[in-house]
Amino acid sequence: MIRLMRCEFYKTRRRYLVLTALAITAVGLVWATYGDYDGPSGAFLLENGWMSFLYQLPLLNAIFYPLLSMVIASRLADVEHKGGALKQLCAMEEKGRLYDAKLLYGLAIVLLSVILGWAGLIVFGLFRGFGGTLPMGLYLLFLLFTLLPTIAVYLIQHTISLCVKNQAVAFFTGIIGTFAGLFSMFLPQFPLLRRCLPWGYYGTLQFVGLFGWTKETRYDQAYFAIMEMDWPFFCVLVIASVLLYLAGRWLFCRKEC
Amino acid sequence: MLWRLIRTEQMKLKRSPVWLAFLLMPVVPAALGTLNYLNNLELLQSAWYSLWTQHTLFTCYFFLPVMIGVYCSYTMRQEQNHHNWNKVLTMPVSRGMVLVAKLVCVSGMILLSEVWIGVLFVLSGKLAGLAAPIPFAELTTWCLMGTLGGMVMASIQLVISLFFKSFALPVGISLVGGISGLVFLAKDLGHVWPYSLMAYGMNSNAPQQMLESGSVPFVITCVIYLALFVGIGSWILSKRDVS
Repeated sequence: MIRLMRCEFYKTRRRYLVLTALAITAVGLVWATYGDYDGPSGAFLLENGWMSFLYQLPLLNAIFYPLLSMVIASRLADVEHKGGALKQLCAMEEKGRLYDAKLLYGLAIVLLSVILGWAGLIVFGLFRGFGGTLPMGLYLLFLLFTLLPTIAVYLIQHTISLCVKNQAVAFFTGIIGTFAGLFSMFLPQFPLLRRCLPWGYYGTLQFVGLFGWTKETRYDQAYFAIMEMDWPFFCVLVIASVLLYLAGRWLFCRKEC
Repeated sequence: MLWRLIRTEQMKLKRSPVWLAFLLMPVVPAALGTLNYLNNLELLQSAWYSLWTQHTLFTCYFFLPVMIGVYCSYTMRQEQNHHNWNKVLTMPVSRGMVLVAKLVCVSGMILLSEVWIGVLFVLSGKLAGLAAPIPFAELTTWCLMGTLGGMVMASIQLVISLFFKSFALPVGISLVGGISGLVFLAKDLGHVWPYSLMAYGMNSNAPQQMLESGSVPFVITCVIYLALFVGIGSWILSKRDVS
């Protein structure tokens, strides 16, 4: 497997794959940390900065990480489609192992970006002087709740990108899924919607809520609180990810290269 | 010559399922945006205008730019595959016109998406029980201006796809471009930044905004950008080695 992953590295060398991932993550980080900290609600945001991130970031994650997954999965698969290399590769190596190697390599890049983005937020919070101590336990949980939906979404993108030569299909599936997942976060009245979509799990696993905010009083009586964590659906997503992996591997192995 | 080139481009795209995405994508914000509108009636009190923001807000900033990026990548991909540039660039046609033909095809798809967004908007409003008269004049302006802004975005994306042979990289750039458009709109510079023009034209965050300033400066800006990017693309193509 290490040998196969090294091949993936050589194939994507000088193709700026990691740089692309880091650039998209950097844009997300800039957006996440952009805030009016010197404005009228600045004091509230600085005092509650750590919790504010946990409340706001699932929304941004639901946009950036699915799109990042789309780009990385497509680039890795496209290397083979473009050169018609899958036929040769599949003659030399077991198809399932190829699927795994590409998955591990792409997923490593995406998850590295997620972790770097997460670390960047913490560094920003410490640098900006957010109130209170860093709730490391909650942040680790937040990282887990970001990584898992990203893995599930990446599995879908990886399978479509590898199985369908036309990369536009993978992109359009991802865009529509991301769009539906994002909108499902604005509809807490329909929790089933976000629980049905892998792209909606950034919202399903959100565990910090903002209460007391009104148009008139704004942040005067507002406060953040930890909500009940959706562990049953966390388990559902773990199982779904395993099934997505097995189904994707099976589909790729059955595909005529 | 241009008409024949456009027909050629359309033949290349025939039986491609790409158009389906432009048909399906607006259904998501139409359905979920309407639900969100109905759930926030106490905050969203401008009837049709509020519904329009719910339908188009995310569409303009993230999803339509990415869709345009994908479509432009796809049309350029036709030539990048199997050394097709060799054939295209040795044909007795103006190289600039090849780019214009591709732009016309992408623009047609953007226009169809805008019309479809408009149809879904009216249907959703009626289903949501909006009693106020439908703002047809404004809706037509939003869709046409959105198409024009989208054409500017498409012209940039086509040039970017000329530079990068990768399918995905220009799409990533279109995402970053869409987000940069949001930043420029927030800084009141939406009328000058090419990636903001579509959202600005569609008036996605303030439906009365452009009606006050008039659409002539917007159209002039779009035409200048279109001429600029088509010019750059044509120049690149004219200098491009047939390899």
